[in-house]
Amino acid sequence: MSTRPTTSQRPSRQGSDRLLVLGLGNPLLGDDSVGLRVVRDLCPKCDAWPNVSLAEDYWGGLRLMERLVGFERAVIVDAICSGGVPGTVRVLSPDAIPTQHSSSAHDVNLQTALALGRQAGAQLPTTENIRLVAIEAADVLTFCQECTPSVQGAIEQAADTVLAILQTWR
Amino acid sequence: MATQRISIDPITRLEGHGKIEIFLDQDGDVADAFLQIPELRGFERFCVGRPAEDMPNLTSRICGVCPEAHHMASTKALDALFHVEPPPTAKKLREMFYSIFVATDHTTHFYALAGPDFVMGPDAPVEQRNILGIIKKVGMEIAGKVLKMRKDGHHLIELIGGRAVHPNWGVPGGVSRGINEEQRREIEERGREAIEFAKFSIQLFNDIVLGNKGYVDLITSDGFTHRTYNMGTVDANNRVNFYDGVIRIVGPDGKEHVKYRSKDYREYIAEHVETWSYLKFPYLKKIGWKGFVDGEDSGLYKATPLSRLNAADGMATPLAQGEYRRMYETLGGKPVNHTLATHWARLIEMLYATERWVELARDPEITGREYRVLPTQKPDEGVGCVEAPRGTLTHHYWTDERGILTRVNLIVGTTNNNAPINLSVKQAAKTLIRRGEVVTEGLLNRVEMAFRAYDPCMACATHYLPGEMPLTVVIRSADGYTLHRLTRSAPATVQSGHQR
Repeated sequence: MSTRPTTSQRPSRQGSDRLLVLGLGNPLLGDDSVGLRVVRDLCPKCDAWPNVSLAEDYWGGLRLMERLVGFERAVIVDAICSGGVPGTVRVLSPDAIPTQHSSSAHDVNLQTALALGRQAGAQLPTTENIRLVAIEAADVLTFCQECTPSVQGAIEQAADTVLAILQTWR
Repeated sequence: MATQRISIDPITRLEGHGKIEIFLDQDGDVADAFLQIPELRGFERFCVGRPAEDMPNLTSRICGVCPEAHHMASTKALDALFHVEPPPTAKKLREMFYSIFVATDHTTHFYALAGPDFVMGPDAPVEQRNILGIIKKVGMEIAGKVLKMRKDGHHLIELIGGRAVHPNWGVPGGVSRGINEEQRREIEERGREAIEFAKFSIQLFNDIVLGNKGYVDLITSDGFTHRTYNMGTVDANNRVNFYDGVIRIVGPDGKEHVKYRSKDYREYIAEHVETWSYLKFPYLKKIGWKGFVDGEDSGLYKATPLSRLNAADGMATPLAQGEYRRMYETLGGKPVNHTLATHWARLIEMLYATERWVELARDPEITGREYRVLPTQKPDEGVGCVEAPRGTLTHHYWTDERGILTRVNLIVGTTNNNAPINLSVKQAAKTLIRRGEVVTEGLLNRVEMAFRAYDPCMACATHYLPGEMPLTVVIRSADGYTLHRLTRSAPATVQSGHQR
């Protein structure tokens, strides 16, 4: 089992880890930070899981793809703004609608980034082995360091959803 | 004839994407066109009451695209705030770090966003107009080259700045750590490879874009040309500099309008407000706001890679200077007012950034151990400015004598270009809408090309940006009815209707 530092220390990949749980978000933008909070919530819960790296990041597109290099499977946890009820948790595949950070307006979407990486010979998880756990956000445009109550209340459910995915991959 | 005024709904969270509204006059010609993107709220309120030293880290988190630019502008604002002059080694380290960042960022823009329009062609199907299309057309090896350039850039930014994403390095009076000889050698070696990559990229542009008369005609066409003022930072010899210097503004005729120190920006720049936009519209104070029009009498200015080249007399490195000359010779002399030439200018800047990176890596002072001067004076007010990839970036802080922030003002790169972007969108729309006839085929892409050249970074303002941003274009008649609604999802769909 790998050592798991707190995610705020930006853990790097452990050599033997095959699974990545990556929280995406901006810690200063209210509900946008929910992906980071879910991963922090998972830290103590993942102690018993072998070969899992927990990490935080901010970038979509090419940078997100580059972050997945070397892993066999990945769960990306992120906020989404699709007009649903705030706090709703969904599991999506990378070729579904983009979450807040899984796409990038300054380069390419995740699907394109993955295709580019594979063409360049990078070892990346297959599309079936990437899951997006998306939490519907209420406000991602106001600077503050708290989530809205309904999104805060969904963190545990989102963390359980991640664990359930890891369970199926065991 | 002007169209009647239409109130425009702000973009809702549910839509969550950019919207362009095109208003036709009663003859069916374009009267106005506006790009709307939502803005983040409450940043100043968030910052006030915090220690100013937190700002390089806080502001680098505003934006996931150019955190290094915010980090550097903020660090320079702290130098000014605490009245401390960084030692030469610190300045050189900062500029080298910054050059690596600019070269890496420009790489991504060209290959992921700008390149596809030209390499694949502006009328290619959207599913082919992306970086994968480029690889298919030009060759597999490009994928590896682009990813290597990005990987090296990110690696060196982490090596120098301590962290890969949000650097934690700049401090008032210098930087928190220097580099050793082994690190210096690696930086130089990667820099030499980066120069080759930049040369390769310019050659690609030559072969594919400049070798095609149709593309050159497109670049120089009226639909993508307007004459505004140009802003950029220049060194003592009026050459482009990303990290430091004075702000120079030249007119649409290329003549110098003004040169000023960044701390005096408020004497020269004012901000216009429109009810339909969250973002302000900066303009030149002495010329004045005359609306969304170009020309000498309008205070609109651009702050883009092309603007920086227009505002300077040349580039400070030999290869980039050669390319600089060639661009102006090819496009008919200075200044160049063709928006799409911004892509060419960006590549010339990429080459300059890589050359400067190696120059600084070879500087005997770069491994010096004096990389910080401790501040000893009480803080009060400070302005810091750098050339972000997307335009001149200004941070302005006010504090009490304990260094606690009392006020914050930022002018981000893209905000400078807010009015010209709208102007460009309107001009592009005009070429495809005449006398009520709307050429929907290609309209979305032509309009997108107009603002993609600016690489607008509303990430300082929003997460939904051009490129992969879902985009909606609404065309309204003079009486406010929706004639067409085009949505950019792949492939673009067109719906016609009559709704308010």
